Amino acid sequence: MNRRNTRLRREYLYRKSLEGKERILYEKKRMIKEALQEGKPIPTELRNEEAELRHQIDLEDESTAVPRTHIDDEYANASESDPKILITTSRNPSAPLTQFVKELKFVFPNAQRMNRGGQVIKEIIETCRAHDFTDVILVHEHRGVPDGITISHLPFGPTAYFGLLNVVTRHDIKDKKAIGTMSEAYPHLILNKFSTKLGERTANILKHLFPVPKPDTKRIITFANESDYISFRHHIYEKHGGPKSIELKEVGPRFEMRLYKITLGTLDQDEAQTEWVIRPYMNTTKKRKFLGD
Amino acid sequence: MGMATSTKEPGLEALKRLKSTKAPEWLTPNPSLSQTARAASEHLFASLKPFTPKSPFEKLLTQGFDAEQIWQQIDLQSHPLMSTLRREVKRFEKNPDEISKLKKVQKVGHKGSEGVKGVVEEESDGLDEGLNGFDEELDEDEEEEEEEEKEEEERESEGEEEGEEGREGGIEDAFLKIKELEGFLEDGEAMEYGLKKKGDGLGKKSKKSKGSEEEEEEDDDDEEDDELGAFGLGDDEDDDQNADKMASYDDFFGSNKKKTSKRKSEVNVRSEDLDMGDEQEDSDMGDGQEDSDMGDEQEDSDMGDDQEDDGAFENKKQETLSTHEKELQKLRSQIELMEKEDLEQKDWTMQGEVTAEKRPVNSALEVDLEFDHNVRPAPVITEEVTVALEEIIKERILKGQYDDVQKAPRLPSVAPREIKELDENKSKKGLAEVYEEEYVQQTNLNSAPLSFKDEQKKEASMLFKKLCLKLDALSHFHFAPKPVIEDMSIQANVPALAMEEVKSLLHLWLSQTQLCWLLRKFLLAKVTLRKKLSLHRQKGRGGELIRRGNSKLRQLNGLQRSHKTAHP
Repeated sequence: MNRRNTRLRREYLYRKSLEGKERILYEKKRMIKEALQEGKPIPTELRNEEAELRHQIDLEDESTAVPRTHIDDEYANASESDPKILITTSRNPSAPLTQFVKELKFVFPNAQRMNRGGQVIKEIIETCRAHDFTDVILVHEHRGVPDGITISHLPFGPTAYFGLLNVVTRHDIKDKKAIGTMSEAYPHLILNKFSTKLGERTANILKHLFPVPKPDTKRIITFANESDYISFRHHIYEKHGGPKSIELKEVGPRFEMRLYKITLGTLDQDEAQTEWVIRPYMNTTKKRKFLGD
Repeated sequence: MGMATSTKEPGLEALKRLKSTKAPEWLTPNPSLSQTARAASEHLFASLKPFTPKSPFEKLLTQGFDAEQIWQQIDLQSHPLMSTLRREVKRFEKNPDEISKLKKVQKVGHKGSEGVKGVVEEESDGLDEGLNGFDEELDEDEEEEEEEEKEEEERESEGEEEGEEGREGGIEDAFLKIKELEGFLEDGEAMEYGLKKKGDGLGKKSKKSKGSEEEEEEDDDDEEDDELGAFGLGDDEDDDQNADKMASYDDFFGSNKKKTSKRKSEVNVRSEDLDMGDEQEDSDMGDGQEDSDMGDEQEDSDMGDDQEDDGAFENKKQETLSTHEKELQKLRSQIELMEKEDLEQKDWTMQGEVTAEKRPVNSALEVDLEFDHNVRPAPVITEEVTVALEEIIKERILKGQYDDVQKAPRLPSVAPREIKELDENKSKKGLAEVYEEEYVQQTNLNSAPLSFKDEQKKEASMLFKKLCLKLDALSHFHFAPKPVIEDMSIQANVPALAMEEVKSLLHLWLSQTQLCWLLRKFLLAKVTLRKKLSLHRQKGRGGELIRRGNSKLRQLNGLQRSHKTAHP
C-alpha cells in the first residue's frame, strides 16, 4: 500500500513536471491549426517543426487534443464512479456542530459521518484512502456556530478551505413539521457566476462532491457566487399547473462560503503547494473579484 | 481727644525717632533704640486695643520680655484684627454704597501730619457708623505709615466726600448724583477686577503694614526702615504732587476725559515714584525673605495698580472704538489664542503615533476612530437577496440548465462482442458432420482452428499462412517443411470392392486406336449418361446413388480418382 502510494505520487509528480513542455507543444499546435484554418502563413519560428507537428495534429483525437493538466487529472476518473464522502469535525465538537454535521450528511448523497474522537488527520486520510473514499469534509466551529469547512479530494486531490458565514441550520427552525424530512435523491446542481479560472476550479471541486443525477429529480442544490461569497441553498421544487409555474421550497441548511485557500495536496500534506490563497492585506483585494463576476 | 493726643505723643515721638534713625544704627544692638521701639509698639498696641475686644492683654507688656514674647502678644492681638479687616473690605467690595455712608471726610488740603490727623479724627468719628474695619484700617495706617494711609484715604475719601455730601444735603444734590456715584464706583471696581482686587491690594497693603509693624521689633530693622522710608518717600512725593493737583470738584464731577487724564497722570506719576522707590529698595536690600517677599508684594501690587489703571484706561477707550478697530481687536484676540495654542503642546490626538502611555486613560474610547477596512464586508442576507436567488434557480429549472457532473465518454478498452445471429435455415452439414469436424479439430493439434466465420477472414488467414511458410523457409537455417496432411475426406461413391486393376496389360493389349475408339464411345455415352443421370437420380438401398449402365464410366471415374490420389 505504501509502495503503491509512493509510485502513484511519483507518477503524478512526473506528469506534473511534463506539463510545461506539453503546454508549449500544445500552444505550437494550436498556432499551426489557426494558421491553417485562416489561411495565414505559418509563423516563422514554427517552420522547422511544422511538418511533424501537422502530422501529429492529424493523428489527434478529442482526448489528446486538449492539453492535460495535472490539476484536472485529479477529477479524471471522478465521473466514472459515484463519490464517497466522509464528514467529520474538529476535535471536541459542541452539540450544535454535531447537529450541523448530521444535516450535512444528508445533503451530500453517499456520505458518512464519523466521530472525530482523538484521531490525527493523517490517520483519517490514510484510512479513507484504504477504503476508497473520494472526499473528506472537515467542519470547524466557533462557540457552537460552524465557521469553517475543508473539502479534500482524496487520491491526491486538491483541498479547498472555506469559511462559513450566516449559517442557518435545520435545527434552528424549531417547527419540525414545517420543514419535513429531507429528500435523499441525487440532486441537480446549479453553479452560478463562477467565471474566472479560479472560479471554474472551485466549481469543479464542489461539483464532484455529487454523483450523476437522474434527469427528473426534484432536488436542487445551488452554489451561487456573488462577489466572492458563495451562497449554498437547498431546494425542492414542484411544478403545479401551467408550464411556467414553479414552486420552490427551501429545505436544508443555508450558509455563505468564502474560499480562502486551495492547496494541491490532501489535508495531511502540510508541505503541499498552494494553488491560491487569499491575501486580504493587499490594497487591491477589495476591488478584485477572484471567483468571478 | 486730648487724652488721645497726649498718649499718642510719646508713642508718636517714639515712632518718629525710629523713623529718623539711620540704617546703620540698626545693625548694632542699641539699648536706647530698643527702648524706643518698645515704646512705639506699646503705643500702637494701646491704640489698637479698642478695636480688639477679645484681646487678653490690656497693654503690651514689653518690660523684661523677650522679643519673641512681645511678638507673640502682638500676634494675639493682630490676628482677629486682620480677619475683621478682611471682612470689612469684602463687604465694601460687595456693597460700595456703604462707603458713601461714611462720614464725609474733609478734603485734605495740604499735606501734613495735622491735615492727616484732622482726616483721621474726622474719620474716627465715622467709627460710630459701624465701619470699624475700614476705620481701623485707616487708624492703623495712619498710626504707622501716615503717608501710606493717605494714599488710600485719598482714594476712599473721594468716595467719602461724595458720601458726606450726600449725607448732608439729602441723597441727591447738585454735587452728588447717585448715577455718577455708581458709575464711579463701577469704574473703581473695574479697576479692581481688571487685575487685582482693590480689597486685596488694600489687604496686602495692610498686611504689609502689619508686617512692617512686626518687623519693627526685629533687630535687623534696616529693611523695614528702608521700606518705610522708600514707601514713605514715594508716598510723600505722591502726596505732595497730589496735594498740588488736589482733587477738585471738576475732577470728579467734570467730564470723564479729565478724570481719565488725571488718573493717567496719577498713575504715571505713581508708577514713576514707585519705580524709584523700588529701585531704592532694591539697592538697599538686606537679607531676609520677608523683605524680598514684601518687596515683591509691593512691586506686584504696584504693577497691579499700574495695570489696573491701564486697563481702566483702555476700557474707557473701547467704548468709543469704531467697527474696524473692534474687528482688529477681535483678530488680535484670535491671533493671541492661536499663538498660545501653537506654543503649547498639541492634543494627543494630533500627535501622530500615540501609545497608551502617552494618552490619558480611556481616552481612546471617547474619540471616534476611523479605520480603513480592506475586506469587503460579508453580505447580509435580506429578503431581496433570497428572492433574487430563487429567481435565478427558477430560471435554471425552467431551462433545464444544470451544472451536473457529466459522465465522461469512455475509450473502448474491450472489443465489442460479436453478436451471433441465429440462422433459421437448416444447416447444410448434418449434425454428425459437425461433430466430426469438432473432433478432428480437437485431435489434430496442428490444424488451424477454423473459428472465423467470415470467408474473407478465412482467405486472409490462408494467404498469411502461405506467406509465413515461405518466410520461414527463407529465414530459418533448419527448415522442416510441414508434413502434408492428408485431408481425410469421405468419398461416398467408392465401390465396396476395389479390385486391383491390371492396367498396364490392358493398356498394352489394346491398341491406341482401339483405346481411342473405346474412349470416344464411352465419352459420348458419358455425356448421354450424364444427361440421363441428371434427370433421374435414384438412390439405391444403401443410400448410394445408382447410376444405370455406366459402370464403365464409374470405373473410369474411379480410375481417375485413384490416379489423383496415388500421385501426390
